[in-house]
Amino acid sequence: MTASSRPKARGRFRWPQGFGVSSAALTLLAIVIACFLWPEVHSMHMPVGGNVRDANLPLLSSDHLLGTDMDGNDVLSRLLYGGRQSLLVAFGVNLLGLLIGGTLGAVAAYFRGFVDTAIMRTIDIIIAFPPLILAIAISQAFTPSTGTLVLALLCYSIPAFARVSRASTLRLCALPFMTAARLSATSHNGILRKHIAPNVLPQLASYALLGVGVVVVLEGAMSFLGLGTPPPNPSWGGMIFHGQSAMLTRPHLLIVPSVMLSVTVLCFNLIGEALRERLDAK
Amino acid sequence: MIYSKSGLWTDAAALSSPRLELCRAILRRLVIVGTVLIGVSALTFFVLGILPGNAAQTLFGQDATPEQLARIEAELNLDRPILERYNLWAVEALHGNLGHSLASHQSATKLLADRLPVTIELVVLALLLSLILAVPAALVASRWPARFIDRSVAAINITTLSIPSYVFALILVLMFSVHLRLLPAIGFVPLRESVVRNLESMTLPALAIALPLFGLYTRFLRGDLLEQLLHHDYIVAAKAKGIGSLRILVRHALPNSISGLLTVIGVNFGALIGGTVIIEQIFALPGIGKLLLESVHARDVPIVQAIVVTLAAISTGVNLAIDALYGTIDPRTRNASF
Amino acid sequence: MFERTFRPLSLLAIFLTACSGNATDGQARRSGKPPLNEVTVLLDAGYAGSWPAGLDPATSPTGRANLSIMNAIFGGLFQLTANADGSNPRIVGVLASGFEITNGGKTLIVRLRDGVLFSDGTPLDAEAVRYNIERNLATPCSCAPTAWPWADKNRTVISDEHTIALNFSRPFGAVINAFPVSNINWIASPTALERMGEDQFKLAPVGAGPFRVVGDQLSAVLTLERNPKYWQEGRPYLDKLVFRSIGSEQAGVQALLSGDAQLYEGMTSTSLMDLAASRNDIVVTQQPPTSTYVIQLNTLRPPFDDERARSALYYATDVDAIVHGIFSDRYPRSQSFTAPGGLFHEGSVPGYREFDLERARAIVQELGGIKVTLNTIRTFDGERIATALQSQWKEAGIEVTTQAHELGNVIQTFRGGTWQAFLQTAGSYDPEAGPGVSFRFRSDGIYTGVHDEKLDAILVEAAASHDDQMRFQLYQSAGKLISDKAYAPFLFAANRAQVATRDLSGPGLTTKIPPIMVNTAILWTDVKRNLE
Repeated sequence: MTASSRPKARGRFRWPQGFGVSSAALTLLAIVIACFLWPEVHSMHMPVGGNVRDANLPLLSSDHLLGTDMDGNDVLSRLLYGGRQSLLVAFGVNLLGLLIGGTLGAVAAYFRGFVDTAIMRTIDIIIAFPPLILAIAISQAFTPSTGTLVLALLCYSIPAFARVSRASTLRLCALPFMTAARLSATSHNGILRKHIAPNVLPQLASYALLGVGVVVVLEGAMSFLGLGTPPPNPSWGGMIFHGQSAMLTRPHLLIVPSVMLSVTVLCFNLIGEALRERLDAK
Repeated sequence: MIYSKSGLWTDAAALSSPRLELCRAILRRLVIVGTVLIGVSALTFFVLGILPGNAAQTLFGQDATPEQLARIEAELNLDRPILERYNLWAVEALHGNLGHSLASHQSATKLLADRLPVTIELVVLALLLSLILAVPAALVASRWPARFIDRSVAAINITTLSIPSYVFALILVLMFSVHLRLLPAIGFVPLRESVVRNLESMTLPALAIALPLFGLYTRFLRGDLLEQLLHHDYIVAAKAKGIGSLRILVRHALPNSISGLLTVIGVNFGALIGGTVIIEQIFALPGIGKLLLESVHARDVPIVQAIVVTLAAISTGVNLAIDALYGTIDPRTRNASF
Repeated sequence: MFERTFRPLSLLAIFLTACSGNATDGQARRSGKPPLNEVTVLLDAGYAGSWPAGLDPATSPTGRANLSIMNAIFGGLFQLTANADGSNPRIVGVLASGFEITNGGKTLIVRLRDGVLFSDGTPLDAEAVRYNIERNLATPCSCAPTAWPWADKNRTVISDEHTIALNFSRPFGAVINAFPVSNINWIASPTALERMGEDQFKLAPVGAGPFRVVGDQLSAVLTLERNPKYWQEGRPYLDKLVFRSIGSEQAGVQALLSGDAQLYEGMTSTSLMDLAASRNDIVVTQQPPTSTYVIQLNTLRPPFDDERARSALYYATDVDAIVHGIFSDRYPRSQSFTAPGGLFHEGSVPGYREFDLERARAIVQELGGIKVTLNTIRTFDGERIATALQSQWKEAGIEVTTQAHELGNVIQTFRGGTWQAFLQTAGSYDPEAGPGVSFRFRSDGIYTGVHDEKLDAILVEAAASHDDQMRFQLYQSAGKLISDKAYAPFLFAANRAQVATRDLSGPGLTTKIPPIMVNTAILWTDVKRNLE
């Protein structure tokens, strides 16, 4: 597919290489360091267990750079610890979704014939089943924890990846080289691994990178169902969700995590694009 | 052996008459929809069955004594084993009777007929708005990549993508209802009452849902378009022939990207319904999202079943339609699809 | 500048709306026309705005939550009223003309007004009332007042067309106070019931209240119009009343600001109340509190079968901090199940264990640590109070996990019996009206964590007596007993606020009336909208 006869990109199509990407990578690194390492080395307030007497302190208070929230917790600290939670959850969900959903979709699209219609039907059923119900069901059947949260988010993530992967694989299977591969009596496993996976992966990966932002927001929306990160533990999505109820009165509670999230997603996006360009150009 | 396993049955198909082929295709699709509906309804039934509590307890359990509860449970058939209940439901459903709400005894069909159009309209409007915004934005961004316009579009997209719809909802209402007094903050006006006011009452909710989608679709589409611009021979050839870039984008690259975009949309469809729940609550719209949420909490099984089965039918239909569209839009996949 | 750019758009919008027929009120405001004589009321989707089982008094378990709606349609035989500042609360007859308690408290005589008609034209007489009571008691619904001590024989006796007596097997002092929140306060038209059948009736019920049902989408929108057959001349003042269910208090406030609604009933968010109160065009009326937050403890299982563990919670709880930090000092502390707006209120209980962190720590250490799961109902306030408690108790060395439950799942948790602590509200205007005190503190209560014979005896006697002085003393000693044995730490008395646009006025809306239970009953007949 990436035939050497094709001329490389040149001229007016300037990719965001160099300055754009490296500053994105640096920013992302800074964010990751801030969330994961900084609280370990620098003593700061705990993100939970705040004294409710300190509630609603404004921005730039002494001792609380970003103020405190309604429960008396330090907002800056919640921002950093929340970042950990959100990034981990978003990564985990997207990774699992990509692996599980991507495989399901590719396998379904690849195999044909009535025996394997079963896989397709099962996927169709899973996709047709409103994820909302499954999410509510999980929230009511189990005690909320990060595990159940990831499970509920996977209900949205896996079908999405399965669909995208299936469509990609369908397109792939129509190409001439696939017929050649099949005729050459390569095993199914071999075809899947050597031909389908590497070609479907880039599109799935770019979808996954976009998905990071989507999952963080979705996690916040899960709080609506009572399934978000179990309170009082912080997460960006949760802070945004609870911040919206104070939007008219204390907007910075909403703005701060939103900006943080937007910046992070932007970095992921820039890096993702550069990565894809590099992968494609091979 | 190779022939029977892989997709090379299309060769055999090509030999039979087109009309027979069409019939088979339609039949196949009907079977698919049927299987999916059965599977989904069974799954829902059993998922709800496993959950703690039942309709009697959640609806009437507030101050009820155990005897009262037992009476209600018997009335609602909740004391029978789960397989028997599913059977009862399925038989009725096949006759077109989707049952009655355990809470209000209202016919499920009527409830759905009342509420579903609201949500469908909301979703359709949201999708339309998001595409109206996304396609031009993606075209512009991929026409002049890495320039200022591309980066601005990217910045806007990332912002809309990472802000949830309910935040947009509140901001939009603040802007357009409270300050500008242009549009209503809440409420739904049915289409048959007044088209103009119906659209007015749906604009802000649809926009709130559309904006994050717009962000997602634009990023996706732009990426896809750019990939084509860079790597596909015929496009490079077209440029060499001197055809303007924008024209190439619209006439050659865009149609190829549509199938990918349609997939992304199709994927979102089921999740969109979940997203409407919060929006319906904020704008006080009498739609299906809220009904679904309440019914699951209340374990009102017939209503949940009715909604799930209808949504599954719609979602499967939409995805099948997209698959069919693949065939028309992207001829290369035509033989590979069903 | 922003506005200037949009002026042509607004003009276009006005033009379009002007051409599109019947304007809604919000519409009217947007196009500069005078407001209509109607009111849109917003109700919380999780409580008052949820009526999934319909609006038939005999079959709706959410009647008490939908108080406003039921009162608008059915009027009510009796209602609680008060002076504008909430003082001197008293029960008055609305569709009834009065009442009398005789026979040593065992009989309640209800006198009906002359000439009261249902909106279908049929008369509301004693026969109709009996029909309703019997129907109510016979229908399997938790809303039926089966907990009342009805006499075995002749529980309803009709003396004449306008007089009916309710007979009880023992003195039932609290009956008239419990009436307005009981489903039998709402009399349905028997003729309409027979004609429409139960299933249709619950969707479009027919009562004798100031308004009648024109459209009903369950738990979403209810449209009412004035009842032309209402017994009081010239009332109600309003032509139309629309109830809408909304899921976000903030969106509700915005709807008030934009003119798309006129009243948000029962707001709980204190920060939004502060915001609304700061606006000129909005009036916030805080209703007097009649119930208190309490942390129920399960005294039948560890760790709270040990009195020391229970008292540790008392010492570890800093109520002032919670009231100050979360609720901006709006609500008064309480140490028992009575509140300032209700009957038999006493501010403090002698010997109550006040906040003392050191002592709490000492006890916890002595016990070798305490682990507790604190349950709460999934409401905004409930969860935040639970979070605050979690942090406070942690400082005393108590390990706390919180768990929030949907309203419908609460009963399962209690039935399961393994719960340890539950944050709830207790008490009501009259401690015996509805499940408030008995359900939580008597051995036979559904939601109880206490098995104390002495307490049972006190509460039973208080329920039976119709001597107010005696009841006051009994409830005082009940409060003291609960405090002495550390059965349940009380927090504060909270209540909701009515947030309305300035052109609205009415009893229970812009004046204070204590809620019998949770919701204040707005007297819709007298609600007015200033249309200038």
